Amino acid sequence: MKNILLEIENLNIDYFDGETPLAATKDIGFSIFEGETLGIIGESGSGKTSIANAIMRILPANASVSGRISYKNRDILKMDDKEMKKILWNEIAMIFQNSLDVLNPLLTIGEQIAETLREHKSLKRKEAEDITKEYLEKVGLEKDDFKAYPHQLSGGMRQRALIAMGLVCQPKLLIADELTSALDAKTKSEILDLLSNLQKEFNFSLLLISHELDTIASLTERLMVLYRGQLLEEGFTKEILRYQYHPYSRGLINSSTTINVYKDLWGIPARKTLEEGDGCPFYSRCNQKIEICKLERPSLISLEASRKLACHQGGILEVLRGEDISKSFMNKNGQVRACIDCSLYIRQGEFISLVGQSGSGKTTLANILSGVLKKDSGSVLFKKENSEAMKLGSQLGGVQIVFQDPFSSINENFTVLDAVREPLQINKLEDQVEEKVKEYLSRVELENSTGYLARRIHSLSGGQRQRVALARALIMEPELLIADEICSMLDKSTEANILRLLKKLQNEEGFSMIYITHNLNVALKLSDRILVMNEGRIVESGNPVTIMKNPKDKYTKDLIRFNKKNELLLYD
Amino acid sequence: MKRYKWILDIIITILIVVTLNFFIPRLMPGDPFMYLEGEDGHIMSNFSEGDIQRYKEYYNMDKPLLEQYIDYLKKLVKLDLGYSIYYRHEVSYLIKSRLKWTIPLVAISILLSSFLGTVLGLISAWKRGSFFDRLCYFIMIILNEIPSFLIGVLFLFTLGAKYKLFPISGGFTLYGNFVTRKEKILDIIHHGVLPSLTLMLVSIGDYYLYARNSMINILSKDYIKTARAKGLKNRVIIFKHMLRNGIAPILTRIFLSFGNIVGGAVLVENVFAYPGLGKMMQSSIKTRDYPLLQGIFLVTTLTVLVTTIIGDKINQILDPRLKNG
Amino acid sequence: MDKIKKIYKKLTIMGKISLLIFIIFLIMGVFSGKIARFPHDNIVAASFVSPNKTHLLGTDDLGMDIFAQILYGARVSIGLSLFVAIVSTLIGASVGIVAAYYGGVIDRLLIRLIDVLTIIPSLPILIIISSFWGPSMKNIVIILVLLSWISPARIIRSKTLQLKEEPYILVAEYYGAGFLHLTRKHFIIELVPIILVSIIKLISRTIVSEASLSFLGLGDPTNKTWGLVLNFALGFQAIYFTEYWKWWVLSPLLAIILLVLAVAFLSVDLEKIANTRL
Repeated sequence: MKNILLEIENLNIDYFDGETPLAATKDIGFSIFEGETLGIIGESGSGKTSIANAIMRILPANASVSGRISYKNRDILKMDDKEMKKILWNEIAMIFQNSLDVLNPLLTIGEQIAETLREHKSLKRKEAEDITKEYLEKVGLEKDDFKAYPHQLSGGMRQRALIAMGLVCQPKLLIADELTSALDAKTKSEILDLLSNLQKEFNFSLLLISHELDTIASLTERLMVLYRGQLLEEGFTKEILRYQYHPYSRGLINSSTTINVYKDLWGIPARKTLEEGDGCPFYSRCNQKIEICKLERPSLISLEASRKLACHQGGILEVLRGEDISKSFMNKNGQVRACIDCSLYIRQGEFISLVGQSGSGKTTLANILSGVLKKDSGSVLFKKENSEAMKLGSQLGGVQIVFQDPFSSINENFTVLDAVREPLQINKLEDQVEEKVKEYLSRVELENSTGYLARRIHSLSGGQRQRVALARALIMEPELLIADEICSMLDKSTEANILRLLKKLQNEEGFSMIYITHNLNVALKLSDRILVMNEGRIVESGNPVTIMKNPKDKYTKDLIRFNKKNELLLYD
Repeated sequence: MKRYKWILDIIITILIVVTLNFFIPRLMPGDPFMYLEGEDGHIMSNFSEGDIQRYKEYYNMDKPLLEQYIDYLKKLVKLDLGYSIYYRHEVSYLIKSRLKWTIPLVAISILLSSFLGTVLGLISAWKRGSFFDRLCYFIMIILNEIPSFLIGVLFLFTLGAKYKLFPISGGFTLYGNFVTRKEKILDIIHHGVLPSLTLMLVSIGDYYLYARNSMINILSKDYIKTARAKGLKNRVIIFKHMLRNGIAPILTRIFLSFGNIVGGAVLVENVFAYPGLGKMMQSSIKTRDYPLLQGIFLVTTLTVLVTTIIGDKINQILDPRLKNG
Repeated sequence: MDKIKKIYKKLTIMGKISLLIFIIFLIMGVFSGKIARFPHDNIVAASFVSPNKTHLLGTDDLGMDIFAQILYGARVSIGLSLFVAIVSTLIGASVGIVAAYYGGVIDRLLIRLIDVLTIIPSLPILIIISSFWGPSMKNIVIILVLLSWISPARIIRSKTLQLKEEPYILVAEYYGAGFLHLTRKHFIIELVPIILVSIIKLISRTIVSEASLSFLGLGDPTNKTWGLVLNFALGFQAIYFTEYWKWWVLSPLLAIILLVLAVAFLSVDLEKIANTRL
């Protein structure tokens, strides 16, 4: 076991602007081991720079700090100035966020690096200059840049100089704040390589603070997710990138173009409620909040080895789980096995696609999951409870399914009003039925005038009918919506509109979705996760990037190759 | 080309000042020589017919305007500023004789006030919000606002007239018998204390406020944060990182403030009847000695102009960012 | 009204005291005729009466009531400085906005003029012009305005230049907004705080300038400002060797200092408030 180098406990930073304190961080606690690389990710204003400044003790005068920051078991916050100055730069150094202002404009780069050597290593002017020049070369600058003034360097060169400055005293811990922001892609990757190599060479501990996922991913072993001054999740970087427990972490990672190469970009939905409590910082944007989230702040607790989470719900909830589902049909040729030992899960707010050709068993599986069809064996758990006895379709907050054919799934002689309110009427739910119908019609971007409500379904186009079907499903406020090839009967333009609408509603309202399609490209654009089905079995599952980059099953490989061939045809 | 633009700028500015000086008497409402007579219409006793004749000759009023102007420029180039009727001497000679009183007064005040103002401003900024800072800031605002001659008058009546610590007028004891040179010098210093103290007090506020402000500004800069993070000694942070960045603008400010100091000096000299240029300016107003008045105006204005230019240049020389483009 | 309350609340203690002093002086000036028990320009008592119940600040060499002179002086000094401050700020503001908006030759000319006028030391030029033009209230006002519009013009020009680059101005211009629309709807609102602060600063500068001129004997002898009262007092031969200065010299002197300081502290506060926005 490596030794702990820096340990932070209950770190609270408040800024005083006038009377009321503004909390920058709340009860932050973490440790950095010797030689370890640790990342803190968070959006601007999350308090990440405040943490760095607190470690360096360079917070502005209007900030108050409490808690413990112990470096090699000594509390930095309690040291006197003299002791602190001995540790600064000599033991803990920092690469500041790159800006012209971060270096003194009237002093040369070399002087600003060398002065730290003279201060901390008691070197003579000449010795300090030599070592500085050596480091300038190490970071890819030239000896002559010693005499350069900051304004004479480009952004990338300045970043290199800052790295040289940070490393020249050979610190045990290096803090890097937004190492790569404001750099172009090429320079950025050079800087990342440089720091990664230097870290291996000197084996210092690195605390990397950034809002850029790719920077974090390429430099850190361990990652912490910071939101509005609180740590929400902690674990190995690779694991967090693969599987997030906290809805915020998931949103953050879903918003990254580096990670979502194929998928359309969807941000974390804006806050729905303005009420803020002393509870979870993510409360106002969370889609699975419960009463306690508002009242009480969740603490960061261990889930498994080296994985921590702060969430009252224990992370993103599982909505539905199917285990070993099998189903056979009889036809004239005998028994057909439509589903064979299919297992899958879907989490709250997740969008998964079930991809497969016709006859692969995907529709059968969908019908079993929704409870439309009875299974032969296996089990379906809705919110961790066996759904056998539940009538998932006839309750609010259950499961709804929209079928492939909009022409046959709605009674043509119904009015729009009758069609949409049918599930509510059947189950005698809600009093203000007509109001609710109007609201949902507008959500699916249909007219909601009295005239439209009275129109017969047979006078509507296919696209409109599918929207009505969507409204009918959504009016039951489902936790999970299953959409089975809902666009296959529609023209391409209508399909695009409906899919966009569906994804928007899903993102905003936070329900989970299983989308069933034969079109891999559509699945890539929409899904957090893709399951590929072939001949009744789920043969592959993973996020769009892993499926595309590293398909395991032969059928998946064929599917991708077929797609590529199509592309070539189009663009040759 | 652009490098020499500032030289052109100076020439234009000087020309404007010179031309202004030329036109002021000529644009006077009514006949300028009416004013040679006293307020109640009597000819002032110290002007003879001959004096007025000389006067008219200097101003060349009967010739066409352009010819007057060229004539005036020619004389200026030869440093001929005209003839003072009251003192019966060349204006340039008179000015020279008074400058030896004014220059030390102004120089000592500027040196002291800029040094003290900068140091206090630096300390104030470093200890911002402390008792020292608040007290200093309060006092300096007051000093900065009270007009110089009022402070002078207060000193005059308290330290001078009431407590008799310092002489109340003049630059030296008239008809004083000094045995040694040292005695004479001490006498002159004794006379100079109140005027220079007054002038220093009125200019210190400006330097202090400017220094404090720019130091606070510098303190908020990221490179100071960097310097602090680097664990440098406070001494190094203050003198190397802060002062170095603050000194050029402060020096510039000192040179740019010269105009205000000159104004202050005119008033202060009059309060203490100090025999400098300002005192002479006021007596030339009383005696309507226009050539002398204009000569003093021209000399002070051009001096201020030159110092302003030097101030601008200093800023450029000390800042590497402004060098080579 | 709410805004005034808000501003008042943001004033520091010094600012509030200063405001009070300023208002008192203002009232003294406006109602000088009603408050004064004696005419300011007539002999009402013996010479050099020391301050007492009838003559709060005593009398001068001719036996004129000094308190009446201070009251009347408040009227002239504050009236003059308000007038000069407002007129020159308005001139400066208009010039600054026009120059910044139109740029080009107009702007270059303005900058040159501002440069020259800033370099020329103000007191000597004040002295030389007013000594040639002769001491009358009208001339003093004209000269002071001529020299005072520069600093607001410069500040407002640079602020307007900065505003001109704001995206919402660019958008408005893209929609076809012209000079008048931009000035009325966008510039003025942003500039009001600066204009107010500039007026207040000019008030104190004008009082000081006028007092300086009067002190040098260039004041209008028919309008007794505080500066002129002080000038007369200092001109009295034996003033240094008697006790009279304690009321004759100190009264106008302290009046000037008090008002100037009040205005200064007020403008420091207001400037801070204007910078932080409401």
